[in-house]
Amino acid sequence: MWVKNLFDVCGKELRNSFSDVGVLVFFFVVPLLYPLLYAYLYGREVVREVPVVVVDECRSATSREFLRKSDATPDLKIISYCSDMEEARNLIMRHKAYGVIHIPGEFDRTLSEGRQATVNLYCDMSGLLYYKAMLSGCTIVSLDMNRDIQMQRLSGLSDWEKDVMTMPIENEYVTMFNPANGFQAFLIPAVLILVLQQTLVLGVAMLAGTENERRRRGELILGHEYDNPVVVLGGKGLAYLIVYGFTATYVLCFVPWLFHMPQLWQLPTLIAFVLPFLLASIFFAMSISFFVRDRESCFLLFVFVSVPLIFMSGISWPTSNMPAFWKVLAQFFPSTHGVNGFARINTAGALLQDVRIESISLWVLTGVYFMLSLFIYERMYRSDKMPGMEFILAMRTRARHDIRVAARDIKSDIEDAAQKLRSRRKK
Amino acid sequence: MSGTKQGFWAVARREIVRMQSRPLYGLSMVFAPLFCFIFFTTLMKEGLPESLPAGVVDEDNTPVSRSILRNLDSYQQTEIIKQYPNFAEAREALQKNEIYGFFYIPKGTQEKASSQEQPKISIYTNSTYLIPSSLLYRDMKTMAVMASAAVGREVLLARGANMDQAMGFLQPIKMDMRPLGNPWLNYNVYLSNTMLPAVLALMILMVTCFSIHTELKDGTSREWLSLADDSILKAVSAKLFPQTMVFSLMALIYLVLLYGWLGFPLHNGFWPMFAAAELLILASQGFAVFIASAIPSLRWSLSLCTLWGVLSIPISGFSFPVMGMPEALQALSYLFPLRYYFLIYVDQALNGVPLVYSAWFYVALIAFTIMPLVDIHMLRKAAHEYTYLP
Repeated sequence: MWVKNLFDVCGKELRNSFSDVGVLVFFFVVPLLYPLLYAYLYGREVVREVPVVVVDECRSATSREFLRKSDATPDLKIISYCSDMEEARNLIMRHKAYGVIHIPGEFDRTLSEGRQATVNLYCDMSGLLYYKAMLSGCTIVSLDMNRDIQMQRLSGLSDWEKDVMTMPIENEYVTMFNPANGFQAFLIPAVLILVLQQTLVLGVAMLAGTENERRRRGELILGHEYDNPVVVLGGKGLAYLIVYGFTATYVLCFVPWLFHMPQLWQLPTLIAFVLPFLLASIFFAMSISFFVRDRESCFLLFVFVSVPLIFMSGISWPTSNMPAFWKVLAQFFPSTHGVNGFARINTAGALLQDVRIESISLWVLTGVYFMLSLFIYERMYRSDKMPGMEFILAMRTRARHDIRVAARDIKSDIEDAAQKLRSRRKK
Repeated sequence: MSGTKQGFWAVARREIVRMQSRPLYGLSMVFAPLFCFIFFTTLMKEGLPESLPAGVVDEDNTPVSRSILRNLDSYQQTEIIKQYPNFAEAREALQKNEIYGFFYIPKGTQEKASSQEQPKISIYTNSTYLIPSSLLYRDMKTMAVMASAAVGREVLLARGANMDQAMGFLQPIKMDMRPLGNPWLNYNVYLSNTMLPAVLALMILMVTCFSIHTELKDGTSREWLSLADDSILKAVSAKLFPQTMVFSLMALIYLVLLYGWLGFPLHNGFWPMFAAAELLILASQGFAVFIASAIPSLRWSLSLCTLWGVLSIPISGFSFPVMGMPEALQALSYLFPLRYYFLIYVDQALNGVPLVYSAWFYVALIAFTIMPLVDIHMLRKAAHEYTYLP
């Protein structure tokens, strides 16, 4: 009996969702378009050819070589040679350039004396990626030139310096899991998970808001027809799970594929992880949706939360360096565990046992939020479940019956009339 | 003016009553911005992450490799927390998020060193987490170079070279990075300066649009309009005035928090940034009224305002520069008030550029403020005739 009711509720909630354009926007349109927009925004992964200006006070062959090689790196592009720092600063003020390479007058002389020469780099700090581009571009050039200079000096010198040349240890750098070391592969997995959770929250809250508006107007709502709260909540949850089965497949599998992002997941792991994430998000959404009084207030209440949530997940600012309070608070949101688990499953090819902690946390959250929504539901709807309700229910059933009878009568009347018309025409 | 039954102040007073009647307004105008202000500034209060966990793998385990390990001093930002017996275990620790990166010293390092081949240390970082990974890379690279140079420097010094000559040989050209405006590379400076106004602007866009359209939804729009002598301009400006005051207070709080309490760079003093914050509020309100007038549906106009508010965060270009975006989005970025606020902040607070260089950005914000003049007559029509459709 209760299984049938469960599917009844599920079917009715699906019908509610699909007949509400506002909810459809949250359940389908936003998850469809928003990830595409983000992936498109960060599609180029890194900044290339950051415009810089040069102040070359040395004007020697070596300094020119340094500048030529810097210009040739993919990171930097020299747009102008300035006579002094004043002129260079002016170009930075007008947002024409984001950095200055300054080669001091004694650069060449210091080098030829065998001492250490300095190149000064001034960098606009409005974006950290400018800094990164300048640092990596110039470092590559200086390492390259240092080697040449050492070679030149070695050719005329004794073996003892050759020993030194060979002694130092080389190093190489391997970025694991995000080969381009870029923005897209780093931020998009977090955005995808957050889009799923937040659209669920907004859509469910809008449905709940509509229900609350109707309840205030004294209309019947889904919860009145079924006594068992587990059936009502379970049935609704099932409906959302069915919808988000499709949405999540699109968002988590199709979008990364479309933008050629790393996709190292294994299907069983992905399913076993995404299921508790969706369940936890659904019951989280239902728990907070009870507080939404009308359809549109969900925007004001829940949209801004996305911004702190993405930072709480630790994808940007490292979790190890968060104040304890935020670290604890973050544990209560499915997105925190979802982002950390999915980022590693998707980008680093982690298996279920590698994301065990996140997965268990999501199951725990599912349980906690289910119980919480049950508790709130019971408290909020207790007042509705007065004897008067049963009367209204009975009245409704009778009214439905009456309407059906009336419809049947009207139909037969029309048929009669049509019959008469036809026979009259024949005459 | 007290006692008037109609006009600007009557509408403003009516709006204050409306705002007090629903906790929604308090939550979205005061609680939400304050929560985000506190969240962002305390989250990153370290400025630069310190003691990021890293590991080492020494598969060689010889005197040479151990001397390299000894030379890998911990830096302020990197802390080597654990030594792993082999590569596979370190990789697993990386996947489990126990560490953000590790050094790898392969087998045969000593052999290579003694046979005059160049041994190699590898640095692995988990770039799924971009910020810790880039910071670790910088530190680990320096550690590797220093460990290597320590070996070379000792030889050179033993052969009678002085420190100057030794460094002059090992690293003839040195880079001296001088970050302008934010020399500590402080993430809090870099993120909070845009995140706080971004959240405020998002809330303004939504609250403005919501509060205008609920008049239509609740059927109180005719009463509202007649109270304002049937002038839509007066009705809207009087209605939004109390909100402007509340938002200005919020702006003042974040300005004091950032530039007073936390002492973030503020090169040209308080007033240019205060003006920018005030104009950001007015521009956001103007933009929201423009949308609310153009689209006579609460849900659709609110959706568009929300989209604009959320999208303005990445598109303002403070995390990923606008010049790195596709051309279509570069053009689109001109339509976001926050973009101009960000440019003013870079000029006036971070770099201390003369005010004239930012003049056009202020003008752009003013343009957003007067944008509703184009289509506000549509709102007037809607206020007279509209019926709500869910």
